Amino acid sequence: MATTLPATACDQVRDDIWRPMRGASPAYVAAVAATALLVAWGLFCWGYQIGHGIGVAGIRRPTMWAFYIVNFVFWIGISHAGTLISAILRLTDAGWRKPVTRVAEAITVFALMIGALFPLIHLGRVWLFYWLIPYPNQRLLWPNFRSPLVWDLTAIFTYLTGSIIYLYLPLIPDLAQLAAHTDGWRRSLYRALSLGWTGSDRQWHALERAMKLMAGIILAVAVSVHTVVSWDFAMALAPMWHSTIFGPYFVTGAIFSGIAALLVVMAVIRKMMRLEAYLEPRHFDNLAKLLLLMCLLWLYFTIAENLTVWYGNAAAEMSVFAARTRGRYAVLFWTMVALNFAVPFVLLGIRRLRTIASATISGLSVLVGMWLERYLIVVPTLSMPHLPAAWGSYSPTWVEVSITVATFAAMALLYLIFSKLFPIIAIWEYRHVSDG
Amino acid sequence: MYLTAEFPDAETAAAAITALRGRGLHPAAMDLFSTTPIELAPGVLDRPSRMSLAAVAGAVALCLLTVGFVYFTQHHYPLVTGGMPLFSFWATGVVFFEMTMLGAIATTFLMFLWESGLLRRRAIGPVPTVEPGSIWLRVDCQTPQVAEAGECLYHAGATKVERLK
Repeated sequence: MATTLPATACDQVRDDIWRPMRGASPAYVAAVAATALLVAWGLFCWGYQIGHGIGVAGIRRPTMWAFYIVNFVFWIGISHAGTLISAILRLTDAGWRKPVTRVAEAITVFALMIGALFPLIHLGRVWLFYWLIPYPNQRLLWPNFRSPLVWDLTAIFTYLTGSIIYLYLPLIPDLAQLAAHTDGWRRSLYRALSLGWTGSDRQWHALERAMKLMAGIILAVAVSVHTVVSWDFAMALAPMWHSTIFGPYFVTGAIFSGIAALLVVMAVIRKMMRLEAYLEPRHFDNLAKLLLLMCLLWLYFTIAENLTVWYGNAAAEMSVFAARTRGRYAVLFWTMVALNFAVPFVLLGIRRLRTIASATISGLSVLVGMWLERYLIVVPTLSMPHLPAAWGSYSPTWVEVSITVATFAAMALLYLIFSKLFPIIAIWEYRHVSDG
Repeated sequence: MYLTAEFPDAETAAAAITALRGRGLHPAAMDLFSTTPIELAPGVLDRPSRMSLAAVAGAVALCLLTVGFVYFTQHHYPLVTGGMPLFSFWATGVVFFEMTMLGAIATTFLMFLWESGLLRRRAIGPVPTVEPGSIWLRVDCQTPQVAEAGECLYHAGATKVERLK
């Protein structure tokens, strides 16, 4: 049974959530300027790479995939925040999800947009990207549909389309409310985007049906997308890549990093927009428990993956395994274990320590740890192929580091702009309080 | 002729709808307006939907289209392969799955637009100004029914009833 807040409380909710959309504080302007500057620097670096060729990146034979692919996998993983949190909680009708869902859904769309850029950046000759689109080229040859690159294209396109619709649908009632209470260009924008929403019961029925359906569909697509990303690696007969558990291992890691990103973004929004009354400690506590669960699942998969390699004792795999656990990548590997397991397990596992601050620290720790995990999956294997004579090393250049930093700034910038244009909490969902 | 009535809560609005239906008014002639979804008991103001069915149909349609497309491309390479397809059909399973899901997503969105009446060009009639917390019922009725329907709305608990053309 659901109830609706009384009218005065409704007005209060609306005012509180719309307040951050009005005006721009000096801190906001400074944040936009700083992130825009970093994004511009990143775009310059990409332009520099296009002008001078992919050689300006540290990619060398045999390590032909590196920072850009690491970032691609990382950002696609982050994109799982919205779908998994929002869709699962929507399908199970969990009442506490309501202030959290839009924050999460926006992360999904922005992270996907950023993640999808990296294959383009990695291509080098980005203007030839259209070769992936299924149409016959000059020699009447079709693209290779067996290629995981074509799988990526279809999977990410489907996921991005679904995620944008999934973010947009519950925005419509709020946009109609905004159109009725604003003027100027904002009114025109909200009126156009609200598509003539009147709030009739037919529209509410259609919206709720569509959201339930979309939640189910997007859940399947989210799992498939990260499985397809894992198959980019697992389909290759490379040491420590050709693994049957890579699909679930990647999906687990994606949900893990997605929840971590959500916790960090929620903490920032709560502080910056003064939404303490809406993003309550219980929301952080519930998400922290989910993060703890995913932390244990991640550990289980990591042990399962590494233990079978160690027990199998195949020469090529053991070389990579040794380099990761006690060789040149050991520092990164054990740092990853500490950040992904030790920190969240201690901070979130002990009830007394589980606060908003510790959940945010755990989220940040997991984000760094999961980026390292992606690096350790991609780089050591390619640096140490089957033939020892072909082994090489990789170190990133300033171009790769700059572009990587710029994407984090791009995420922040997109979020800053979004939060100024649209309510970051679904007002109508928040008003529609569930007793359960 | 339209009658609009404001109600303090969902229960009185439901009572008004039941009373109007008892006097022969069809649910299609009634619309409930609110700023949050109103949950009414089954049978009060049901809105039948074909969205799920359409989503499945859209998914199947795009899946079949993709299967046909992949089959076509398998056999239309200008290379001599002795009549054999150029690549394994089954290795393209991911493409089928993603396109199937895309079909379901696109159809769901289109059906949402259709069933909600958004973007539809036909006149939607007068829409009451709904403030947060209020519930409005709009009834499309013939002129002879207006007086009886208005009385029925007041009797059910409406705080305000207006006539609109």
